[in-house]
Parts: sequence; structure tokens; C-alpha cells
Amino acid sequence: MLLPSFDYYRPQSLPEALSLLGEMGEDARPLAGGTDLLVNLKLKKLAPKVLLDLGGLEELKGNRADDGLVSLGALDTASRLASGGPEVPGLLAMGAGALGSPQVRNRATLGGNLVTARPAADICLPLLALGAKAVLAGPNGEREVALDGYFKGPGYTVKEAGEILTRVILDAPRPGVGGGYQKLGLRQAMEIALVNVAAHLELEDDGKTVALARVALGAVAPFPMLSPGAASALIGKPAQETCFSEAAEAAAAEARPIDDHRGSAAYRRDMVRTLTLRALRQALSQAQGNQEAQA
Amino acid sequence: MSKQAIILTVNGVARQALVEPNQTLTSLLRDELGLTGTKHGCGVGDCGCCTVILDGETVNSCLVLAMQAQGREVTTIEGLAKGAELHPLQQAFVDAGAIQCGFCTPGMILSAKALLDHTPQPTREEITKGLSGNLCRCTGYEKIVEAVQDAAGKMSEA
Repeated sequence: MLLPSFDYYRPQSLPEALSLLGEMGEDARPLAGGTDLLVNLKLKKLAPKVLLDLGGLEELKGNRADDGLVSLGALDTASRLASGGPEVPGLLAMGAGALGSPQVRNRATLGGNLVTARPAADICLPLLALGAKAVLAGPNGEREVALDGYFKGPGYTVKEAGEILTRVILDAPRPGVGGGYQKLGLRQAMEIALVNVAAHLELEDDGKTVALARVALGAVAPFPMLSPGAASALIGKPAQETCFSEAAEAAAAEARPIDDHRGSAAYRRDMVRTLTLRALRQALSQAQGNQEAQA
Repeated sequence: MSKQAIILTVNGVARQALVEPNQTLTSLLRDELGLTGTKHGCGVGDCGCCTVILDGETVNSCLVLAMQAQGREVTTIEGLAKGAELHPLQQAFVDAGAIQCGFCTPGMILSAKALLDHTPQPTREEITKGLSGNLCRCTGYEKIVEAVQDAAGKMSEA
């Protein structure tokens, strides 16, 4: 399959990239890992005149920890995230490891996954559950946007054409915090989820009460969504099966699945319930494990 | 935009080529450098036939622009054998009958090599996961897994 014609630029700094993007407007597309963009070009879904390779931008690389927060570079590959490290929350590593195949994970990036914004995106769901913010750089400087509110539709976000997603900011991993990621597909690899769920739990110092919770649902709405009902069924309650079941019911009620060639809406709603329950159990076990390791 | 000159290392040898902006790494290897061991399959990153190792990591070369290979190191299936002596993985694929039509084999072997480079003694599950980006349409997966296990054993003895 052939790529259509385009010009190729590889800017060496973020200001240079933003100025090129500003000059070319909608004719230019930023290129990160290319695992979605180049496929869409080959399938003739997109026909940009220029590809702006972000691979040379140091501003988009490397992870930093500072004052309880971590800042992850948009060019972090799924492979690197999946292999973890002190700055990478376990939940994010799980999601990144579930994406595509080894070859795809070696190219696909954190920033690319957020900008492509597919409803079942394996990196978007954990980030949403973790309460992450995206840093968008534009001609007038940078802005931080909470991911709750960032997604607008399939492949559509609040990022404007002249902006580049440079980094992602989130809380640093700490004791008493755990995540669970559950992905249901028709096969175990190289799969777009039929339903996926990311759950994030923060426990009080007693190791039993839920201080904060977020449950993100994939493939059951036009974009990755949070379930506010699940969160409120959990926060302030004892972290145990009774309230996990209530949270799972709330998530199933709030999901907005549709029937499509991969599965029916009713099946998806049922699976939201099941996967939410499993993700919460997994998150609790991780949170308690963390806390014990610390004690 | 006209062709641009790039320099890269392929199988340990510095190579130079003139490439178009819309030329893929698959096309650079096959059409410019004559290395037709890298196969062009689906072209959209699903089948893994075009797998090569780029700076130590497997990639679908159909989804890498030739220009992105500037200054980088590529290993293709042609880079594995030492003269007439096959790489242990290549020999194991032959011995186990893990090759039927052979179209997926270069990609399979490179994925297996990358796996063994990081995990010299993989479990069966690690092997199937490591090869999950490579499709065999002759459906000979069982023998492919056996071949990787066999090669892992022989390589650790050596």
C-alpha cells in the first residue's frame, strides 16, 4: 500500500515546529510514531500536504518527577511506558502493555494516543482514570488541560490545529494508590477493545477507606469517559465488594454503548459491569500491596 | 519536495540512499538497497511481514518513513547469518519445519531475535506474546513456537 505524496519536515525545536505549523495551518500534520497517521494516509482517510516529524523535539522527550508530580514526554513509546519505571504509574504501564503488538508499541507514543483519541485507546483510559493533564503548546504559549473535558469525539479533542501536545502531567505513584486495567477483546493481542475499563483507587491511611476513585470506560461512548456514579459509589466508603458492586452497577448505567459489528450495546453494558468489578479488585490489591510495602 | 540523501547503518554497514518523503523503510530496503528478505505484506502494521530491528527494537518498516531512518541502525533478516552459517533461530526454524510458504518467516525470526535479546529463556506465553505482531497464514504457529524454544535452548548452551 502506497503513501500519497507529501513534503517532510523535521524541526529541531518546539518553537520551530510551532512556527512551521502556524505557517502551514491545516495542510500540515504532526507525525509522532506514525502507527495511526501513516495508516490513515495509506487508507486515504487523510491527505495532508506536509508531515511535521516531531521526533527531533527534545521538549517532548524524557520523564521528570518534581514535587509529587510527574511529567511524561509526549514521545514516550508504549513499550517504554509498559516497562514501567519510577515515574510511570502501574495503571499506565498496564494500559500501554495492552496496546497493539510489540512492533506497534515500539513506535506508538503517549502523545499520539491522546491526539488520535480513539474511544477504546489503551493509553487514554488509564490517563483519564489517573486524573492526568495534557500540556498543549501553541503560538501563544502553553496551556494545561485536564483530560476530563479534553476528549470531544472519536479522533476529536480540544487541541487546536496550531497546537502540539508536548507532555502529560500526573500525580507521582505513591503508597496506598493502585490501579486496575481490564480489556476485553475477541483475541488477546493486536486488538481494539470491545470494552475496556481503567480503575484508580486511593486509600486513606487506614488502608481500608476509599479516599479517591476514578473509573474510566472505553468503547462505550464516542470518547473515553469517566463514570461519576462509580466514583461517588466508592469515595468515603470501605473498599470492599459491596461498594465495588454498586460502582460497577453505576458504571454500567452510565455507559453509552452502541451496537456495532464488534458487539451489541447490551453485551457491552454487561461487560462494563463485570470489567469494572474486576478492575476495582485489581486496583485494591495493588493499593494495599503498595501500602504494605511502605509499612 | 525532491529526493533527499540519507545515511544509515544496515546490518552493520554504512549505506547511503536518495529517498522520497513518502517512501517507507520497507521500500528503501527492498527497492533501493536490494534487501528483499524484508517482505511487504499488509502495509498497515497488522501482519508483521515487514518487521526489521531499528536501533534494537522491532518495528513494522511499512510504518516508518525512510527519512526517519536517517542516522539509525537497521538489522534485516540478511544480517543474521554469519557467512554460510545460519543464525541459531534460522537453523531452528528449518529444523522444526516452522517454515511453510516462508513469507512471514523473516519477520517472525526478527521478532523472535528481539525477544531472545531481552528474554533469553522465555516462557511459552512470552513467546506467543513476543510474536503477536506477526501473522502466519499457513497457520504453522505451533512449530514456530517450538523453533523459538529450541533456539533459546541452544543459544544459552553456546
